[in-house]
Amino acid sequence: MSGTGGSAAGGRVVVTGLGLVGAWGLGLEPLAAALLAGEPLAGPVDRGAAASVPPRAGRGVEVAARVPPDLSLEPWLSRREARRMSPPSRFAVAAGRMALGAAGLPVGPGAGADPPDPDLGVVFATAYGASSFTQGMLDQAIDEEPEAMSPYLFMESVANAPAGQAAIHCRAGGPNETLCQREAGPPAAVGRGAALVAAGRARRVLAGAVEEITPLLLSVLDRFGALSARPRPFDRRRDGFLAAEGSTLLLLERDDDARARGAEPLAAVRARGGAFDPTAPRNDWGRGGAAVAAAIARGLAREGLGPGDVDAVVSGASGARRGDRFEAELLRELFGPAGPPPVLAPKRVTGEYGGAYLAAALLALAGRPAGPAAGFSEPDPELGVVPHGGGAVQGVSRVLVTGSAAGGSAAWVILESPGTVQR
Amino acid sequence: MRARTRAVVTGVGVVSAWGWGREPFWDGISGGGTAIGPFSRFDHAGYRTHVAGEVPPPPSSLPEAIPGWPRLSWADRFAVAAAREALAEAGLLAAAGPSPDLAAAGLFFASSTGGMLEGEEFYLRLRGAAAGRAALRWIATQPVSSPAEAVARAFGVAGPVETVSSACASGTIALGRALDALRSGEAELALAGGADSLCRTTYGGFNSLRSVDEEPCRPFLRERGGLSIGEGGAVLVLETAERAAARGARVLAELTGAGSTSDAGHMTAPHPEGAGAARALAAALADARVEPAEVAFVNAHGTGTPLNDVAEGRALAAVLGNGAAPVAVTSIKGAVGHLLGSAGAVEAAATVLSLARGTVPPTAGRGELDPETGVDLVRTARVAAPGVAVSLNLAFGGCNAALVFAPAAADRAAAPAAG
Amino acid sequence: MEMTESRGSTNGGAGHGTADAGLALRLKQIIVESLNLEGTEPEAIGDDEPLFGDGLGLDSVDALELVVALEKEYGFKIRSDEIDPQAFASVASLARFVAGRRAAAGGPAGAAAGGAAVAG
Repeated sequence: MSGTGGSAAGGRVVVTGLGLVGAWGLGLEPLAAALLAGEPLAGPVDRGAAASVPPRAGRGVEVAARVPPDLSLEPWLSRREARRMSPPSRFAVAAGRMALGAAGLPVGPGAGADPPDPDLGVVFATAYGASSFTQGMLDQAIDEEPEAMSPYLFMESVANAPAGQAAIHCRAGGPNETLCQREAGPPAAVGRGAALVAAGRARRVLAGAVEEITPLLLSVLDRFGALSARPRPFDRRRDGFLAAEGSTLLLLERDDDARARGAEPLAAVRARGGAFDPTAPRNDWGRGGAAVAAAIARGLAREGLGPGDVDAVVSGASGARRGDRFEAELLRELFGPAGPPPVLAPKRVTGEYGGAYLAAALLALAGRPAGPAAGFSEPDPELGVVPHGGGAVQGVSRVLVTGSAAGGSAAWVILESPGTVQR
Repeated sequence: MRARTRAVVTGVGVVSAWGWGREPFWDGISGGGTAIGPFSRFDHAGYRTHVAGEVPPPPSSLPEAIPGWPRLSWADRFAVAAAREALAEAGLLAAAGPSPDLAAAGLFFASSTGGMLEGEEFYLRLRGAAAGRAALRWIATQPVSSPAEAVARAFGVAGPVETVSSACASGTIALGRALDALRSGEAELALAGGADSLCRTTYGGFNSLRSVDEEPCRPFLRERGGLSIGEGGAVLVLETAERAAARGARVLAELTGAGSTSDAGHMTAPHPEGAGAARALAAALADARVEPAEVAFVNAHGTGTPLNDVAEGRALAAVLGNGAAPVAVTSIKGAVGHLLGSAGAVEAAATVLSLARGTVPPTAGRGELDPETGVDLVRTARVAAPGVAVSLNLAFGGCNAALVFAPAAADRAAAPAAG
Repeated sequence: MEMTESRGSTNGGAGHGTADAGLALRLKQIIVESLNLEGTEPEAIGDDEPLFGDGLGLDSVDALELVVALEKEYGFKIRSDEIDPQAFASVASLARFVAGRRAAAGGPAGAAAGGAAVAG
């Protein structure tokens, strides 16, 4: 784990803006309302589209938390600007401009300057990239011929297309990185963004996640037995996660720049880290939660912190059978016999992918009520975690956000409320 | 200036169109010929072009030496084989099972395609366009993070494992992340690299942009007609200088600086003056604390497209040109093709080998140099001049990334190393 | 430029008349459809209006997308060296290019002598 605390260039790394696009619509308040209501943001997906894996081959989950198809992204993105963009690019550019606007920074052409800002970087995480456009190209090759593959589709089929479009439309000329780390992507991207600022490679970074869910992708996940229409993180009867799409982006910057601009930080990124569980099968979680917990503990110690300094956990637990077990092992090992502080599992509402659960961490730091743990009714004795249900978590100054991926990767960040005195 | 942790390279592994190994790769790129030619990774009837830098069949010992081989994608195999070779050179390959050294190591990887080739096989079967069942095993290795995960699983890496997928700059960015991890103390040992296989999506995609040469590509030459796609992988073992010294490891080269930027201009075309690339290069030199005059040679992106080679030449001139003769520039893409996400990793490997062996490999391709590129192109292998080396990549989507490597300390004849 | 309604196909290779207008209008429709130019009426694109740079403001990737659409519509292949600023400057120049290729390939009612080889 490495520090992004007071020794960083420019002081701490702080979060001054947030942009969100997802099944709830645009922005933080509709998402906060959804979290408060506690119900999964699941909507129907037509899996009958050509070439989907037949529903009978999976469990037949036909819902996902998708961005409403008729959702206007105005004023953040005009239809003219979106002309050649894939869905994830549209989500990311809108969320990016929203985050910049919330931070009081110029949001792009028309509001900003040309050439691009060399000090504004981009770090996006995606698990699957631009699925619909890639599938579209293959359909062209199959239904017509390989020479009929579309340049538009190819241009936007690369995993870094959203990051490239965000650079163009948010005028971001600094480092531009796209991470593929599956379910661990969101905290990994925030951590890397904070590290870029701390290392002086950028003064500000748009960091977070973007994802697109297609009928084909849904079908494949279902065929792997990964999905549920009713995610129940940590519950004994949990049977999978709700697939989600959208984009959640944080604007990270140097504390001294934020102060100079009079921008109010939402949080500081106090620490970050990552680890890998080599016991994980290629498409599932393993039994190495304890070793990852030890890595987190070592990282906390290097920052002069201990598990007792964590006031709340915003867990990446999504309802995945072995994923939640991994998270529970991690929490049990990290916090010991005393048990963890309140554990929130926002993916019961937001679903998995797209990074929206990061926003729940910021809400917790702001003392906002967390919403019920709807769907949780029966603790799993093997896991021993009872998620926090309802009401604000009192006195939260420091939140541990965990993310662990099928295939073994794990990442985490510690977010601190801005008023917390540095230790 | 305060002292910083130094990052040294102690092992290199490569899989390329020249074969499965570092030595065939070095011999191949040193010889000036090309390994780009006809290929059979997938049926390319109906595509506009028919050559690529395909990796030949593996030596028969390799599938037996690498557990789980049949279930790995080609990109996974390239990654694991390259990692194995790099770890062996570094003296870190355990006789059996995971090496204890790797429990705290980080893995910073790059890929554009992951298991896309195998995913295409799944989809063709799903669509009824290929015979056979759309079995899950075809799609099981699809994620772009899969090659990194395969390496981590194979060798017991338990520190941070990350995959960068920023098109042609991915490998370079991954090495930059490894450098930052070592400097920050996040790890003392890191594997950095990349792997990609040929696949229909990228082959057809670059063809849709009319960017692919029908002939093997000819970087920086007047007659160049586009890029050639390649496949393979490379892994570098990096560790802190202290750690390497403490265990008596042989240092091949030192990674002294990294920089990356975005053009923020266009999704497919580079800035005509290479402005973003120039900024990335300048940032890497500043990060390495070296002056432009200390650069002995550049391992360029050099794809062979009309636009890239001119833009890149202008970027190099803007940063390194100082009235004296232009700095020596070479591109290995004429020999092995453009490995997309893992290009930066393979080219970093070539740069390290160039420094360690004191020779800059030539750029393959026959014909006249294009004077508009403004580069001093290495056409036959040259003794490396004293100084540092740069590896530069300009990516689809506008990312640019650069690395600075210095010769191993004992070999340096130039001014004292920074840091 | 005055627009005239198409009165059905006649000699596609002829230099003037309603067939040209029909071709020009079809090309404008293809441009709008294949390049996602929502909100642009095909009829509003002038025959001589610059397509790239100023005017419609298209770029090199738009040109390539348009090429794919033209190949599909007219059934001939367009070589990379034919994708040049002259041929693609405007709808009028594009119409001349397409009409010429169709005629050479023995296209609709055009004079043909076995047709030039379709570009691979």
